[in-house]
Amino acid sequence: MYEFDWSSIPGALPFLWAGMLLTLQITGVAIFVGIVLGTVIALFRLSKNKFLSGLAALYVTGFRSVPLVMVLLWFYLLVPQLITGLFGHFDLDIRLLSAFVAFALFEASYYAEIIRAGIQSVSRGQASAGLALGMTGGQAMRLIILPQAFRRMIPLLLTQAIILFQDTSLVYVIGLSEFFGVAYNTGNRDGTLVELLLFAGAIYFIISFGVSLLVRVLQTKFAL
Amino acid sequence: MITIKNVSKWYGEFHVLKKCSTEVDRGDVVVVCGPSGSGKSTLIKCVNGLEAFQEGEILVDGISVGARQTNLSKLRARVGMVFQHFELFPHLKVIQNLTIAQCKVLGRGKEEASQKGLKLLETVGLAAHADKFPAQLSGGQQQRVAIARALAMDPIAMLFDEPTSALDPEMIKEVLDVMVKLAEEGMTMMVVTHEMGFAREVADRVIFMDHGEIVEDRPKTDFFNTRGTDRAQQFLSKILSHSGGLS
Repeated sequence: MYEFDWSSIPGALPFLWAGMLLTLQITGVAIFVGIVLGTVIALFRLSKNKFLSGLAALYVTGFRSVPLVMVLLWFYLLVPQLITGLFGHFDLDIRLLSAFVAFALFEASYYAEIIRAGIQSVSRGQASAGLALGMTGGQAMRLIILPQAFRRMIPLLLTQAIILFQDTSLVYVIGLSEFFGVAYNTGNRDGTLVELLLFAGAIYFIISFGVSLLVRVLQTKFAL
Repeated sequence: MITIKNVSKWYGEFHVLKKCSTEVDRGDVVVVCGPSGSGKSTLIKCVNGLEAFQEGEILVDGISVGARQTNLSKLRARVGMVFQHFELFPHLKVIQNLTIAQCKVLGRGKEEASQKGLKLLETVGLAAHADKFPAQLSGGQQQRVAIARALAMDPIAMLFDEPTSALDPEMIKEVLDVMVKLAEEGMTMMVVTHEMGFAREVADRVIFMDHGEIVEDRPKTDFFNTRGTDRAQQFLSKILSHSGGLS
């Protein structure tokens, strides 16, 4: 019978916490930039301008067609060269920066598709009503269409955010230790991998489930 | 007030409007009727530029709707429109539905817009519902809010696109009552509807459309009392056969 040995967890807690902070940072930046950039791309995609919609389609298809790990590595290898080339020097943590950039740009392509579907789900009559009241196309989009679209998208945006939160563990390929990486390394070092992975899994579950509950409560409370 | 001159429109090959011409003078109420697919909704949507047209000219208060240099948003802010499916903004409370365009388009202050909104809700009999969301109201109430929303912009004319055809029968009257009151107060109105009772009561003229053409454009009493084209006669007998027939 397997004997569980949880003794290495208390000592590792500060490191696990630091790892979790990194995980949350990457997730937060990627959600924020992803939604803002994703909205812009979605609007381009829906635009009547063939050039803009083509550009947006290319962006979305491009990022969707390659694995996230690969995007991560590319940015890790390319971004420093690019920045050194542009500014002549480079003194940031390149791993962190490439993680932020890669995740944000990658997520933007997924968010763009969710947002596009959300915008299209709002009936044309709503835009007409806004226009008929004298709003410009931009005002109708901002004041009438997008608020309704985002309310409908909440479940999908949440799902995407949780997937992202869990996918951040991929940053191990560029040598960053986020939550999962710390747990794995600690377990490996102390020969308590099973315990550490069970613990990490429990934490992932608690946070993901907690956020879903919170969103559900907020949705009913504010009748979103 | 509204002048429509030889307006033609195509959807691809399909000829939706064929050289339509008519006029709505200040204070006039003009009812547009005709079978479905006759182009009446399309015509009324051309008046405020929600639909583009390829030929002809439409002038609203002297401003050409189709001209490139026309600021359409500015023009639309002065022409109210009421839609078949109400199109209230579901994410905003009733009062916000009435204030949003006043604030964002006309630049009125929140306080002023709210007061104006409440006053108009009162005139359509819905002041008690100001803080509800549209989904909490019945269809008839929603349409009355939609009319108040359009009136909040102090329009020079009102366009109605089948305002009662999505309503349950028992709610049609409450909406028509508001429209009749508006007509009696002298509002310039162009109304696409099958409600011939409304036409008889307040219309100055009735336009009958079929296959994208204006077939008849006659004063109300003429339209109802003297025989016109066969097509209009057929249409009238169909829609009136269940409501008492022609007098």
